[in-house]
Amino acid sequence: MSVMIMLVICSIITAGGFLVAFLIATKQGQYDDLGTPAVRMLFEDEKTTTIDNQ
Amino acid sequence: MNDTPPFTVPTSLRCAHCGDFCADTSIADGEHLFCCTGCRSVYEILQSRDMCDYYSVDTDAGVSQKGSRRDLAAFDQLDSPAVVAQFTDYSDGKITRARLTLPSMHCASCVWLLEQLHRFDAGVISSRVDLLRRTVEVEYNSSTTSLKSIAILLSSLGYEPLLSREGTERQRDAEQRNTSRGIYLRLGVAGFAAGNVMMISIARYLANGQVMDLSLERLFAMLSIVLSVPVYFYSASPWLRSALASLRRRVVSLDVPVALGITTLFVRSIIDIVSGGGEGFLDSFAGLVFFLLIGKLFQQKAFEAVSFDRTVRSFFPLSVRREQRGTEDIVPIDSIRTGDLMIVRNGEVIPADAVLMSETGYVDYAFVTGESVPVECTSGSMIYAGGKVVGTAVRLTATRPVSQSYLASLWERTSSRTPRVAYGRLSDRFGAWFTVGTLTIAFIGAIIWLPDVSLAMNVCTSVLIIACPCALTLAAPITLGTAMGVLGRFGIFVKNVGVLLELKRVSTIVFDKTGTLSSSLPEAIYSGRSLNDREAEAIRAVASHSSHPYSQSIALSAAPQEHVFGVREVGGKGISGRYLGMDIAIGSGEYMHDVCGAEVVTQSSDTYVAIDGCVAGVYGLRSRIRDDVPSMITQLRALSMRTKLVTGDADRDAEMLRRLFNVDDMTFRAKPAEKVLAVERFQEDGSAVLMVGDGLNDISAMAAADVAIAVTNETSTLAPASDVVMSADRLRDLPSLLRYTVDLSRVIAVSLWFTMAYNVLGLTLALTGLLTPVITAIMMPVSSLLVIGISVVGARVLARRFV
Repeated sequence: MSVMIMLVICSIITAGGFLVAFLIATKQGQYDDLGTPAVRMLFEDEKTTTIDNQ
Repeated sequence: MNDTPPFTVPTSLRCAHCGDFCADTSIADGEHLFCCTGCRSVYEILQSRDMCDYYSVDTDAGVSQKGSRRDLAAFDQLDSPAVVAQFTDYSDGKITRARLTLPSMHCASCVWLLEQLHRFDAGVISSRVDLLRRTVEVEYNSSTTSLKSIAILLSSLGYEPLLSREGTERQRDAEQRNTSRGIYLRLGVAGFAAGNVMMISIARYLANGQVMDLSLERLFAMLSIVLSVPVYFYSASPWLRSALASLRRRVVSLDVPVALGITTLFVRSIIDIVSGGGEGFLDSFAGLVFFLLIGKLFQQKAFEAVSFDRTVRSFFPLSVRREQRGTEDIVPIDSIRTGDLMIVRNGEVIPADAVLMSETGYVDYAFVTGESVPVECTSGSMIYAGGKVVGTAVRLTATRPVSQSYLASLWERTSSRTPRVAYGRLSDRFGAWFTVGTLTIAFIGAIIWLPDVSLAMNVCTSVLIIACPCALTLAAPITLGTAMGVLGRFGIFVKNVGVLLELKRVSTIVFDKTGTLSSSLPEAIYSGRSLNDREAEAIRAVASHSSHPYSQSIALSAAPQEHVFGVREVGGKGISGRYLGMDIAIGSGEYMHDVCGAEVVTQSSDTYVAIDGCVAGVYGLRSRIRDDVPSMITQLRALSMRTKLVTGDADRDAEMLRRLFNVDDMTFRAKPAEKVLAVERFQEDGSAVLMVGDGLNDISAMAAADVAIAVTNETSTLAPASDVVMSADRLRDLPSLLRYTVDLSRVIAVSLWFTMAYNVLGLTLALTGLLTPVITAIMMPVSSLLVIGISVVGARVLARRFV
């Protein structure tokens, strides 16, 4: 049973870690703009101008 | 083999940049055709930097440059550090971060292009776009480049930045952002707690009857409480604070019963758990707060969507030219003091009340009084803030400093309009009735079971818990918020949710004519001696340099043509210039007399044209009714709407209109004040009046009506005093819109009936003492989810009638 107690506490702490990450991300403004990242994701990489040396 | 390929004539010529139709093949670059030189220049800029991927990122990428009057002098105000400061978020001497609003931004290509600004200007370090807010945040090296050059660059790409007060609404944006963030944070906490507490509860429910290990029981109990505490004090705080505030004002708003229910749930659960009397309802509690927050998020998103769609062209200037001690300077309008000498040019708005110093001036007060004909003012007369200068520049001495509140009131009259107030008052009244009813039933329930104190407490608190009107606070905002979003996608922008409820009450519709039923620019029909192509082109070219509506009709709204020499415009009278070797003069009969000594029999709105000194002919202006108007009016009649026409124009188009309206329902030559009287007359028998206009010359009438819809031609036109903004080609959807609002209130009614049924069932269980935590845990989330589901699905499905 002590195993159960430990497991429950550990899982709550892990989940809490994710909550903290979410709170920090929101405070930093990562969720302020929900529309543009969806669009930006679809852009292709810029054509590089370097020439590979074989 | 001599296979001659079939000769294909293109049936339509489309601009390679913006996709509009080209009048001819004159403007081209290689094999690409363009509708105007503006579009071609943007294309050439992109091509020279190898950025033509712009067109492949998204369809309809290019913004049409037709009619864009590129006045580079408008960016001179960015020379002033005080003005630049209004756009700057951060600056440390080397790196500066500024945010500009670009109303023309609309698609993925725009995002792609605007985030590559560093390829156009080496001084730009990076740029980041916010597509929903239509802003771009540019980080640049202030020693290498300046905000002015960046603004000019953006303008040359077709994304002219908004340099007016609406473009610097930083405080409002910051507030909105903080509110959104607050909701997300609270949602995160509530969701986290709800999920974990529910898991713990499932374990408890599954162990039903059997005794769990004591240490585990205690752990679960403690965890549930620990997780629920932040939910009560942090996530639920908006409702708790609102309830306290309203009680302090002696008003029982709808938040009071919600707060009561939440508190009862929390307190009783803790008491039950700590005293060992039961399992508590903490899972229902956390879940309830979670759903309430989702409802609030919906409301916030709907509110933000309204603010974002204000894609307006500059109206209120940020700065004005001031002359002090012989030198002209561009200063922010807030620094104008009494006695300052201002110089305001053609098309610019006068920021403060002033006295005219120049000999004469023409001011267009369409915005303030509704008169669209410019007023002639002489030296010494009072000029009022909000008027626009037409023709030659004027010098004015300010009589008082700029009043923000006055300018703001000209622009934003929606804040004082009734719909929002009515909606709030209705829910407050309901909240009061609801709370009283709930408390009464709880009290009665407790008394019935009284010999058994714990059972009495059980029943009392159960009633308060189950009677929580969360569905009420969810149903209306979610339905209306979803509807607003859906309508926005069809080009109908509703400014606040209360409007949708008001629209349902409308029984009389008043239409303005110019700009609403007819296109805003009348057609110019020529009669006189026949003109060859060169002469016609020359007339259009000269006319394109005048911003007077009659000239715009003749010039077919083209941007100012190049290579026109000697342009001289006499505000309100006429314009003359030289093009392709011909002297062209366009104007009123009086102007013809002044310019070439001709004597003509004049009729007020006729515009004459003279070529090389001889009057050639006259342009009569006729408005053209939009094609879908007749069927729309028929549909409105079918909905038993009374339709009326009130316009400031003369009755020259009466013939055409008689087919649409009854004779007594038409009023012509109405001045703005008369329009207001007409609206009030229709309201006399208690019916709700909807006014449909173009928002430019019928502002006071729109403010007087119960609901006002502004119809705009371009998306970037102002529409204050209106509750709904529709693009002109959507006017035919007006009958569908009215039917939709009726359907929406039915959806809300269905949700409310469902809530009633749920409440009755729950109350029965509560009063008989049978309401266990398990039942509550199931009933509450299910009812909330069903209400949200009905609202969203209902609002979306019913919108299918909008094509």
